[in-house]
Amino acid sequence: MHKTKMDNKAVWIGEKDLNRDPEFLESVDKEFGGTDILENGEALVEKDSNRRDFLKFLGFGLGAATVAAGCDIPVKRAIPYVIKPDSIVPGVATYYATSYVEGGDYCPILVKCREGRPIKIEGNDLSTMTKGGTSARAQAAVLSLYDTNRYKKPMMTADGGTTEASWGDIDATVMAKLAASNNIRIVTNTILSPTSKKVLGDFMAKYPQSKVVTYDPVSSAAILEANEMSFGDRVIPGYHFDKAKVIVSFNADFLGTWISPIEYASDYIKGRKINPKNPKMSRHVQVESHMSMTGSNADDRILIKPSELGAAIAFLHGKVAGGSGGNGLNDRAKRALTKIAAELKGARGNSLVVSASNNVQEQLLINDINNVLGNYGNTLSFSDASYQRQGDERKLVKLVSEIEGGRVDTVIVWGANPAYDYAGAAAFKAAMAKVNTKIALSYQPNETTALCNIVAPTHHVLESWGDAQPKRGVVSLIQPTISPLFDTRQAEESLMAWAGMPMSGDQPYLSYLKSNWQSTMYAGGSGFATFVGFWDNALHDGVVKGGGGSQASGFNADISLAKGGVSKPSGSDLEIVFFEPVSIGNGVFSTNPWLQEMPDPVARTSWGNYLAVPINYDGGIKFLGLNGLRDGDLAEINVGGKTMVLPVIQQFGMAPGTVGLALGYGRADAGACGTGVGKDVNDVVTVNGGLSQYYNPSVSVSNGVGKEEHFSCVQYHHTIGVQAENNDGETINADEATLGQTAYGVGIPGYQGSLTKRSIIYPTDIKELKDSMARMHKDQKNFDHLNEATLYPYDEYVAEKYSQGHHWGMHVDLNACIGCNACTVSCMAENNVPVVGKKEVSRHHEMTWLRIDRYYFGDAENPNTVYQPMMCQHCDNAPCENVCPVNATNHSSEGLNQMAYNRCVGTRYCANNCPYKVRRFNWLDFTTADIFPANQPAVSKGEAVPFGADNLTRMVLNPDVTVRSRGVIEKCSFCVQRLQEGKLTAKKEGRRLQDSDVRTACQTACPTGAITFGDTNNKQGELSKKLRSPLNYVALDEVNVRSSVTYTMKVVNKEPLDA
Amino acid sequence: MVNHLTKLTLIILLGLAPIFLSAQPTADAGKGLFKNNCAQCHAKNMKSVATGPALGGVEERWADYPRQDLYDWIRNSQAMIKKGHPKAVELWGTWKPTVMQAFPNLTDEDIESVLLYVNGMYDGSLLPKSAVAAGGVTGGATKAETPSWYYYALFAFLGFLALLLARIISNLNVLAAAKDGTTVAQRTLWQTLTSKGVIGFALFAAIILGGYTTVNNAISLGRQQGYAPDQPIAFSHATHAGTHKIDCQYCHDGARRSKHGVIPAANTCMNCHRAIKVGSKHGTAELTKIYASIGYNPSDNTYIKDYDKLSQEELKAIYTKWMADSYITEEGIEAIDKAGEALVETQWNNLVSSLTNDQKKKIQGPIEWERIHNLPDHVYFNHSQHVAVGKLECQNCHGAVEEMDVLAQHAPLSMGWCINCHRETEVQFGDNEYYKSYEKYHDDLASGDKDKVTVEDIGGLECQKCHY
Repeated sequence: MHKTKMDNKAVWIGEKDLNRDPEFLESVDKEFGGTDILENGEALVEKDSNRRDFLKFLGFGLGAATVAAGCDIPVKRAIPYVIKPDSIVPGVATYYATSYVEGGDYCPILVKCREGRPIKIEGNDLSTMTKGGTSARAQAAVLSLYDTNRYKKPMMTADGGTTEASWGDIDATVMAKLAASNNIRIVTNTILSPTSKKVLGDFMAKYPQSKVVTYDPVSSAAILEANEMSFGDRVIPGYHFDKAKVIVSFNADFLGTWISPIEYASDYIKGRKINPKNPKMSRHVQVESHMSMTGSNADDRILIKPSELGAAIAFLHGKVAGGSGGNGLNDRAKRALTKIAAELKGARGNSLVVSASNNVQEQLLINDINNVLGNYGNTLSFSDASYQRQGDERKLVKLVSEIEGGRVDTVIVWGANPAYDYAGAAAFKAAMAKVNTKIALSYQPNETTALCNIVAPTHHVLESWGDAQPKRGVVSLIQPTISPLFDTRQAEESLMAWAGMPMSGDQPYLSYLKSNWQSTMYAGGSGFATFVGFWDNALHDGVVKGGGGSQASGFNADISLAKGGVSKPSGSDLEIVFFEPVSIGNGVFSTNPWLQEMPDPVARTSWGNYLAVPINYDGGIKFLGLNGLRDGDLAEINVGGKTMVLPVIQQFGMAPGTVGLALGYGRADAGACGTGVGKDVNDVVTVNGGLSQYYNPSVSVSNGVGKEEHFSCVQYHHTIGVQAENNDGETINADEATLGQTAYGVGIPGYQGSLTKRSIIYPTDIKELKDSMARMHKDQKNFDHLNEATLYPYDEYVAEKYSQGHHWGMHVDLNACIGCNACTVSCMAENNVPVVGKKEVSRHHEMTWLRIDRYYFGDAENPNTVYQPMMCQHCDNAPCENVCPVNATNHSSEGLNQMAYNRCVGTRYCANNCPYKVRRFNWLDFTTADIFPANQPAVSKGEAVPFGADNLTRMVLNPDVTVRSRGVIEKCSFCVQRLQEGKLTAKKEGRRLQDSDVRTACQTACPTGAITFGDTNNKQGELSKKLRSPLNYVALDEVNVRSSVTYTMKVVNKEPLDA
Repeated sequence: MVNHLTKLTLIILLGLAPIFLSAQPTADAGKGLFKNNCAQCHAKNMKSVATGPALGGVEERWADYPRQDLYDWIRNSQAMIKKGHPKAVELWGTWKPTVMQAFPNLTDEDIESVLLYVNGMYDGSLLPKSAVAAGGVTGGATKAETPSWYYYALFAFLGFLALLLARIISNLNVLAAAKDGTTVAQRTLWQTLTSKGVIGFALFAAIILGGYTTVNNAISLGRQQGYAPDQPIAFSHATHAGTHKIDCQYCHDGARRSKHGVIPAANTCMNCHRAIKVGSKHGTAELTKIYASIGYNPSDNTYIKDYDKLSQEELKAIYTKWMADSYITEEGIEAIDKAGEALVETQWNNLVSSLTNDQKKKIQGPIEWERIHNLPDHVYFNHSQHVAVGKLECQNCHGAVEEMDVLAQHAPLSMGWCINCHRETEVQFGDNEYYKSYEKYHDDLASGDKDKVTVEDIGGLECQKCHY
């Protein structure tokens, strides 16, 4: 097993699996990670607890029960509306089409509201960009609406103290200050809204001394500038990953974070899904230093140090367009890129080269490569160019110098947080002290609002009116889905008030928006006879076509100097690369507990940034982390003179001599959830010509200096199919180790529990697809043979029960799953899954019903990755059901493995007996559903009540799903509340059930359509079609549990690049 | 002597035998049968029409036919209709398409019991005394009900008999011993009662009884059958749904389309009460509460602008004026008198206490009703499933609401109660295209293997139909 070139079929979970780490194997064998379950009950079960204490507790228990029984039932009130709105029927959800916008992030959404409060976000499938897909960030937006950390009133600093103020006072003060200002600067992130920009224009017309400074938390300024130079068009071109047969990405995490990941993922996956009859797929090569989510989905990865990026681009340019370049690039990369160049030339016009580089010259070379390959007009276009990144941090540099020169007396910061998410944050902070009037337009406090003396709190996006133009030809509306929760005001309305513009009606910005749409979108030829009709339709659909823009001219740039301007390899032994995490961005989403708890797709760490260190194979025995560092060790690192102590995660697929670290952590002012989680590295991002370069060549990493107290990586939790060795050196299943100690020894012939080769993942290369399928089908035959020897009369059940009515099933296409975790967060929102926090995660207590297991396969130094969404498989022959002493989990005639919380007594036998490890136990009362407050988790710093106990946070709960209390098991229910609702709809309409009636939360959230849910009895349904594919297999088929979830083989399209 | 005693015992036992063995029809038995089988469709007062016709006077209506016809009709009405029995066909003509469920298991005695109960309820003789007094019905009907003292007497007698027998056995033992020439100390009654065996038995019985009571009470903990709290407004369902026959779903408009039946908003009340401003029972006392909640000025028939911002004094001025004016009009007097002033003051104070509480200080805003039907958080119930799909009548679960002045919880709302109905209720199988996916059941119905499909058959007893 210990070898670098892995057998193509073998998969591994991580370093501990490859190394057969004894501690890890022990935790696998012990259910619930072997953590001391009593640790949390210190108060109740002390070490010297004895019989007397037991009697005391017993007495208390009896007494409490008697008191509870003796009390009167409390009077409950039923409070109807005074005037019931027409659109609301209590108990029936209403959906509003709107858009989720945060800076340049954009996702058209439908917001599900119950009794006037938003509880869930779905993708809007009318959108031509996202086609109904969402991201984890968009899914989590509904929780940030109910953030306890939000501003509740306008604030003003006077006489050294900050006090709440009225809007009247704020307006009067601000207008006086503005009028007296000589230079006003408005700092923003990318603004997608044309109407917001119009408001800004009007504001600047009133105050001509003002200027807008736009930057992005993670910059794409170089792309904008390169396109301006090449095409005279300062935009991001429209990328068409669906049309590309060969995709080469230089460090661009286009599936996870880069510019418009939902759109790109949806397009990209079209070329990746496999038709087994005619297997064809695009080829994706990622050139990067750290394994990004996109890189993990690539067929081949070319490893370079971060400072080699420029050389790599120049080298490829040389090979494609002629000429030399690429001095200092490592030889392996050179060999690989030479082959890639040939592949690109072979796919002329159907290839796509993208780069996240923030160096203008490098981006010019990328443009030239695409131009030489004839990709413009096909895989790249300007007719649908993206506006999702517009910022340029060089303007911030200029702003800081202007402030230092004493020329700026008023700064308005609108939504942005330059005191944290900008490489020059420290300089910005220092400069802000010299500004007379600092106004914050923000919905929650952050490092920048802390510097401001006037805070004009804005609505959350779900409370706002607005519009967004993410790209040419696509416009969408933003409408409020709830009345403002607090005394806040739309940012645009504040600007309008301060500019002294006419304020008509209750919602002046709505009037403004409408009139702007009337004169632009409507007048631009909408096909509607009246504006009202057009407007109502736009509100209903959420997205409209329109807002085209000028086309770029042909490629025309002098690239002769470009190769001289690319970044030079540093020659340093160790470099550090900084990357934007898929979850919280560059700190923009730090305040959101769902996103903090969402594991990083690749490293699977949560609640903090972990230093990713490369794993080296010592040639003989072990895979070792850099400096012998192991997962959860603390290491002291020194980056560009700043010393930090960070927890470590060993990461496969890192470029040698490179460590990686996520941006966005270590926020100083991000509420109870985000403050102090991880370490801030924005200040050690290097800057070249004013542009942020997300790496630093000057870094040193110490040996281990300790262990992290709460190591919150979920990769080694709830594992399946891990192999170990018994004392006789025979391979056994780690979680069946006890079987090996029976009198029968290991491996009773034919006994499924002793099988060590488990059907969990079937990876293959497209060139070997036929053989691999044949091998898999042979395996399946064997399993069928094994499974025939059973007392379980499955066929009878099928004939009696499952063959009529519904029998639910799911199909997961592992070729389409990119690991983005949108489904995980969607599931948490839909099913009231609690957030448990870092400590509990470290104790294997995360509650997610749906996890995305990550497996590596192939070359251990540079492996391929497969993501497997793993949820309750709703086995028809479920092992969990047989062991429940109270029958709290049992089977429905529709094939659902049912969980009745009110019946569960918490023995956890079911979780113990689940081969997929998908059952979760409520160790504590995370959502305060219990009647005894002593069961609640400990309150973390800065919180008065545990997360999930606050009435504001609880507004996000789905009223159709029980909030579980302490001591019960829970797990994926196939969104049974949605199934019941869908069935009821069909019954009311007196028609057969359709696929569209029953769609699970994970399915609707998925940007790539990897998950298909449906009724297996409906032979015409989408699911039945998918179930006919020969690529399908059932995980752990050999244990005869009759799972209802089917997966597909993972197919990659590799080429030997290092030969 | 022994023979003598045995004879005596036999005679006594034989004399008691009819009490144990006979199946005499009784109204008490009929009550139980009615509740289990008939009450879902037939009103309990036997006078009003529910899903099925009022049963009062049924014997007279069937007097022209043999008694057996009535039995057959009750057991299986559809069969009789098919046979073409003239009375059956006549009734079908009036009531179709409502099909009466078949009750093949009812014996003739059972049906007689039900009929006894029907008659008793119809003529009022079975109603509680107070209710009967109002109607002034004096019953010539024979009381078939067995009074409970009868049982106590029986128990006492049997206990006495047991003691007697024990005594006799003991005496016989002594005699037998005497015959053998040995003497046995005869135990006194007291010694017998305090013997280990008896005390042990008593303790055992107490534990069983105690356990049974505890478990039963624990099960019913939190259940509120019959709960009928006073509401902030003395709203009478009897007036609205009974006298005026307003459809339940006119106000409870969620029942057909939502999980909630929905307590109507004040603006629903205003649909009628803009016009009907003085109530038939309480005059202005209760209706003014609606106006004060929503901000309607009944004096000039306008909604009050910026109502939310008015102080309690301003509200008082508006609504006491209305109360006083109504009083004057009603009494036909020129100006308000002392009694009127007192009445207005009482009404106003009542209004304030009804519309405010610890959490709600202002009169303005929603009327906070006391919630009667409560289900725990882990139970999912959907009205529309039962009303729109199952086509059940509201009265099935809520009882004869149209007769209630103060609404009370009719059903126990226990899981057993739900389950029982799911076991018995037939699915509207034929007419709903949705159920086409149950092909096997359709085949079974066609072939006659199955005569009906109940909710249980399609999974209505499974946990996750209601718990998720």
